[in-house]
Amino acid sequence: MATANMKDVKRRIKSVESTKQITKAMQLVATSKMRRAKERAVAVQPFFETLFNAMCDISSDSNFTSVFTTKVEKKKTLMIVIAGDRGLAGGFNVNVLKKAAAKAEGLKQKGRTVSIMAIGKKAVEYFSKRDYNVTDSFSEIAEGLSMYGSMDIAEDIAARFKAGEFDSVDLIYTTFVSAITQEPCEMAILPVENLNSWTNTRHAAPIYDPSPEEVFEGMIPTYLCGLLYSAIVDSFASEQAARRAAMESASDNADEMIENLSLMYNRARQAQITQELTEISSASLNDSV
Amino acid sequence: MTPFKLKIITPEKTFFSGDTTQIIAKTTMGNVGILHGHVPYVANLVSSPILIEVDGELKEAALSGGFLKVSPDDVVVVTYAIEWADEIDVARAERSKQNAEERMKRHESQKEFDRAEKKLKRALNRLLVAGRKH
Repeated sequence: MATANMKDVKRRIKSVESTKQITKAMQLVATSKMRRAKERAVAVQPFFETLFNAMCDISSDSNFTSVFTTKVEKKKTLMIVIAGDRGLAGGFNVNVLKKAAAKAEGLKQKGRTVSIMAIGKKAVEYFSKRDYNVTDSFSEIAEGLSMYGSMDIAEDIAARFKAGEFDSVDLIYTTFVSAITQEPCEMAILPVENLNSWTNTRHAAPIYDPSPEEVFEGMIPTYLCGLLYSAIVDSFASEQAARRAAMESASDNADEMIENLSLMYNRARQAQITQELTEISSASLNDSV
Repeated sequence: MTPFKLKIITPEKTFFSGDTTQIIAKTTMGNVGILHGHVPYVANLVSSPILIEVDGELKEAALSGGFLKVSPDDVVVVTYAIEWADEIDVARAERSKQNAEERMKRHESQKEFDRAEKKLKRALNRLLVAGRKH
């Protein structure tokens, strides 16, 4: 009995140890990937700020109008949902997908049609299994994302928006607050809102070549591209942070389990030794009598 | 010539930040040259070679789209990608040129075709700039 138990316990310790090795390795990988993604997310900031300022400047031009800023009654919405490509990242995918689904339901109840652009394998799987109109899906693009990759998507969105396929575009992704907090968030990206026009009051209005409208329209894909790129990178950093945290607690749990199992193993071993000793001493007692 | 401040920003990094006396870029309306004291000016740029004066000589770089903004204090170029002539990976550009040409031949959809055409333009631009360096 004792020997069989000891063998079992030994086997369990081994299995937990090998699991721990995996979770530990995943934790390390996630940590380094998170760091790289964070660097990329920071590097994109000046690009985006300059771009947005330039767009604000144009919009402050007195007789400027553009299809990309005009608010019409919203009827058709494109939701861009960014989730991860892989699981094992705690609540990361679930949180953002739940938020997206709730938002989609809310829009539907207001009588709008919702189409979905899913970025990340988990988002693609989630929405295609359910009753949603998924018009575009992109898997496995987040990690090695280049500008050209997001530019292709951005130009496509701009063209379809202009053609009237949808009249508003919302973006839902997870933002990196800190290494331990990541929050799902949403953002209305088209039509372009919140363009504050104070920046230009100091200078004379610049010359727009050929016209403010055309320059603005030319900037739209760049703007979308910058937004998408930074959202995808942000989401990727969050995914890695979530995975790192999940794997850290998994490794901690494994440690705890190993500790308990070792205790069990040592007890069993001690019990066996005690029993053997008792057997030997009682046998020798019997012999001497 | 009087120098002015130039900044070239890409999403990945600040590619150039410093003084220059002259830049020549191609906008959607044609080539423009910018010197010190240019009036405030904003225009979109197309994928093309861009010339920037650095240390007394004009250096060439391959630019992929974006826009140019001249304000009284400085000049800013915002672009998705830009590479100096000697940084260009010719083999990669060659590959992406072939890939784009194949996709254009297949002509699966107009969208796909337009995308391939843009890719081809960027690759040709890079090859053009890389070919000119000495």
